[in-house]
Amino acid sequence: MTDVLKFSVPGKPEYIGTIRLAVSSLANCAGFDIEAVEDIKVAVSEACSNVVCHGKPNREECYEVACEIGKERITISVIDRAGGYDMSKYQNPTMDNPKEGGLGIFIIKALMDEVDIFSELGMGTSIKMVKYLNRL
Amino acid sequence: MSLQIQSNFNNEGNQWEIKAIGDVDISTAPKLRECLDAALQEKKANIVLHLEDLDYIDSTGLGVIIGTMGKMKEDNKQIILVNPKDNIKKLLSITNLDRILCPKI
Repeated sequence: MTDVLKFSVPGKPEYIGTIRLAVSSLANCAGFDIEAVEDIKVAVSEACSNVVCHGKPNREECYEVACEIGKERITISVIDRAGGYDMSKYQNPTMDNPKEGGLGIFIIKALMDEVDIFSELGMGTSIKMVKYLNRL
Repeated sequence: MSLQIQSNFNNEGNQWEIKAIGDVDISTAPKLRECLDAALQEKKANIVLHLEDLDYIDSTGLGVIIGTMGKMKEDNKQIILVNPKDNIKKLLSITNLDRILCPKI
């Protein structure tokens, strides 16, 4: 059986900490170890920061964080209607010439087992992240 | 979900000793940037950022540190991070930032 919890979050920086804590608590209850909980916490926070940083300035609009807790995994989707971006322009950061931005997606992909990003210019973005229990 | 910063200039070592306590995320990263900028404005010197009491940092916080590092390069100064907790060490390692920011790890 799968339980789904959904949070509707105003696009303001001050609420990301609350989501981070809520998702950590869920992952902890679902049986993930401390390191995995930390990975999930950072990944969700990065996905939310992406919405708040790169979305259109209308911060009153809410985005959605949906957490699906399955038997063997947790799936978290961060879905916004903040305007989207051109995925083909994304470049992985290089440490020969580190830049201030662009680390978020890279970190999410490094910490989660599966990551799917869909973005439509003019519409919004959806980042779906999966972490499996007991995967080494 | 807060960030406290203690900033002292070490005359003996001729460097800034800055301690970050709490969390650096998108809502507190501007405070870290202000503090680092203010230190460099007061005196252009190397910065040692003490992280033993920092519980959390994300890409916006790392971005602030990278930005500061870039500004300091022009004056031939550097910022180094010391004593990060394991969770922060992991983040520095996957982004390869440990190689340029953490000579002591």
